[in-house]
Amino acid sequence: MDVSQYLGIFLDETNEHLQTLSDQLMILENEPENEDTINEIFRAAHSLKGMAGTMGYKRMQNLTHDMENVFSEVRNGKIKVDGHMVDILFQALDALEEYRENISENQDEGTNDNEPIINELQAILNGEAAAAAPKKEEAAEASGSGDGAAAQSEDASGENKWQDIVLHEPEQHVISEAIKNNSKVYGFTVYIQESCILKAARAFLVFKALEELGEIIVSEPSTQDIEDEKFDFDFSLYFVTDAPIEKVKEAILSVSEIDHVTGDVIDMDKAKIADEDDEDAAPAAETTEEKQEVPAAASAAPAKTNAPAPASTGSDSKGSDAKKGGGKPAVNRTVRVDIEKLDVLMNLVSELIIAKNSLVSFATSETSHSGFNEQIEYLESVTTNLHESVMKVRMVPIESVVNKFPRMIRDLSKKLDKQMELHMTGEETELDRTVVDEIGDPLMHLLRNSADHGLESLELRRERGKSDVGQIYLDAYQDGNNVVIEVRDDGNGIDTEAVKKKGIERGTITPEQAETMSEKDIIDLLFLPSFSTAKVVSDVSGRGVGLDVVRSKIGALGGDVSVKTKLGEGSTWTIRLPLTLAIIQALMVVVGGEKYAISLGSIQTIEDVAEEDIKYVEAREVINLRDTVIPIIRLRDILHVEAETDEKKSNMVVIIVKKGDQLAGLVVDELIGQQEIVIKSLGKYINCSSRLISGATILGDGEVALILDANVLI
Amino acid sequence: MDALNIAREYDTVQYIVIKIGEEQYGIDISYIDNIVRMQSITRVPDVQPYFAGVINIRGEVVPVMSLRLKMGLEPDEYVNKTRIIIVKLENNAPIGLIVDEVKEVVTLDETSIDEVIRDSKVDETYINGIGKNGDTLISLLDLNAVISDKDNS
Repeated sequence: MDVSQYLGIFLDETNEHLQTLSDQLMILENEPENEDTINEIFRAAHSLKGMAGTMGYKRMQNLTHDMENVFSEVRNGKIKVDGHMVDILFQALDALEEYRENISENQDEGTNDNEPIINELQAILNGEAAAAAPKKEEAAEASGSGDGAAAQSEDASGENKWQDIVLHEPEQHVISEAIKNNSKVYGFTVYIQESCILKAARAFLVFKALEELGEIIVSEPSTQDIEDEKFDFDFSLYFVTDAPIEKVKEAILSVSEIDHVTGDVIDMDKAKIADEDDEDAAPAAETTEEKQEVPAAASAAPAKTNAPAPASTGSDSKGSDAKKGGGKPAVNRTVRVDIEKLDVLMNLVSELIIAKNSLVSFATSETSHSGFNEQIEYLESVTTNLHESVMKVRMVPIESVVNKFPRMIRDLSKKLDKQMELHMTGEETELDRTVVDEIGDPLMHLLRNSADHGLESLELRRERGKSDVGQIYLDAYQDGNNVVIEVRDDGNGIDTEAVKKKGIERGTITPEQAETMSEKDIIDLLFLPSFSTAKVVSDVSGRGVGLDVVRSKIGALGGDVSVKTKLGEGSTWTIRLPLTLAIIQALMVVVGGEKYAISLGSIQTIEDVAEEDIKYVEAREVINLRDTVIPIIRLRDILHVEAETDEKKSNMVVIIVKKGDQLAGLVVDELIGQQEIVIKSLGKYINCSSRLISGATILGDGEVALILDANVLI
Repeated sequence: MDALNIAREYDTVQYIVIKIGEEQYGIDISYIDNIVRMQSITRVPDVQPYFAGVINIRGEVVPVMSLRLKMGLEPDEYVNKTRIIIVKLENNAPIGLIVDEVKEVVTLDETSIDEVIRDSKVDETYINGIGKNGDTLISLLDLNAVISDKDNS
């Protein structure tokens, strides 16, 4: 079979599974007994193995197979998770990552067999298998081949999975009604062939076939999960019908790629009845107990002591799966759209907005007709909606970038021999795709910085009365038209004296300059190229290629980065990014006959200020606005507008703009109004030395208006 | 040198003849995207002095350069004949050049193109050849040199 067409999907899904593995391994390291985690890992490893096998990547398949075996044994309670094992598994993960990269580059997994890792995994398996041998013969045999073990134990007790379906009140009611009406109620578990690619479609066909014969009361997993392919290779259901069981089975088996089906008439006494009183309290423990008992009783298999454990974990995993399905899906359901297509869509919307703007300007210039205005309003709502939805398609949660950081911090912790913890919030914060793709590196730099330079050594931390474990925080949240990402640590903070000394040493500043520099200016030195205060150049950071890259990268995305620090207490790095890059809400103003746009995001208020209210502080014009002294910037001067007869007006229009907690007042001649504008670049030929102009936009009348970057003025 | 090489490869090259002051210049037609009438130009503050500003060409914001200012001549006087030539070099973004007048299209072959005369009135770095069209001489503009930003602040 030609599978190359699935390569893209394969790579994406592999990515997701690897991420799941990494996340869950992190959890497992801290909670070695967490069954949900173990099951999650097992499933991810299993899916990876299956996918790699289908695609013909043998080495990848072998490695995941061994990982899966280890987890299968962990799941069966035969191996205990320990630090060594997690380390090996992380190595295996890195190896898989390598395969993935090779595949994405040249569609080939490479030739690295990663034998040491496989051997280690085998050692874990064999060591424990030997220990388990005295307990039970079958167990030892089973652990020899993990797959077999899983299959065997399933055969022994888990085949009739439908017996595990928990019935709720409405379903019980339907069943008892059906029995009253002399209909028969069956339970079925349908197994799909493992080679099947479109499981959900097959399941759908089974459902359709069944619905012709009777009524499906309940299924496990839920129909929604089945549609989303959130199940392994089997599903169970309760079915009400008048037809004999053979006929129903026949109907199910008539769907192709169905392996086999098990089922029987339901005995209401044996069926599981959900405890309605306890519904809210998520009775995980209780149902587990119940489930443990029933399969043991139901199965007449000889391996009595052995059977309940795997069966219960198996069914338990199903239960937790279903629970998750109801709440937040374990893996993000993503729409993968070619970014180029999105760009085209974006351009179309841009043009639509330009068209709308020209209509608007037409309407304001002519005597208005009501019907015409209606049309404009309609067009306006359409374009706004279209813009919003296209924007949303482009928005992705920063999760995809930040969720690799816990692993990085774990490795750093080992490498630097410092204890540290990373706390993340706001991973769901969304940003434009192009921004998300670019912020990974800067964030990584900042985190490494915090880990390496920020956090003190253990001795120093104890001396200062801090807890042994260094704390690093990564918080993301939306703030108006911006997204703010903060990297915070409770470490040493920035030693401004050391920075000063370093600056003098390097000749960046003179000793005299150093005397008069404010703390902010000194910290700014850190952002200069090749400026590192680390005394020892380490593998982690300190090669002086960090912060200047961070600043330039964030700058290129239209954002900025700042830092607050207190020596001995820690530092906070704040990255501020625009939510979107292409279309913004702007205030149009007139300065000396020229039109300019100012992003609404940076505007705080618009004030009417009398000329005589202007005061002077250090020869600069300021106004005192509600007890805040705000510097005044006359845009006419700044923009070198050729002053046409500047008739003195008694009142000025002042736009108060903010950047962080700083304010400034921009004096303009006239306000035009608020408008949605499409940002266009000025191109690389024009070099605006003052950086005042961040771009241009095309107005309704076809004229070009420039976009003022208020951040530069403050 | 580019134009010379092209001239060797293909026997003939077509040039658009423009006028700046009294002198005639030729621009390789293959680089020309569009020729538009003078339109309102949006000034951009704090840029290189020879940039007149930006204009809207079919929804694109295109920077416009004054060839007169770039060559150190008197500032443009916008009249009925003034045109903006939109040129596009390979994969670069388009750029507009303001010229006094667009005259005609000429076809020059290799033999009628001479190397640059040292004593040219105009800064020789902007020209990479002199074409002879009958009695008139046409200075062939080296667009790469015109557009590049190396000698101006």
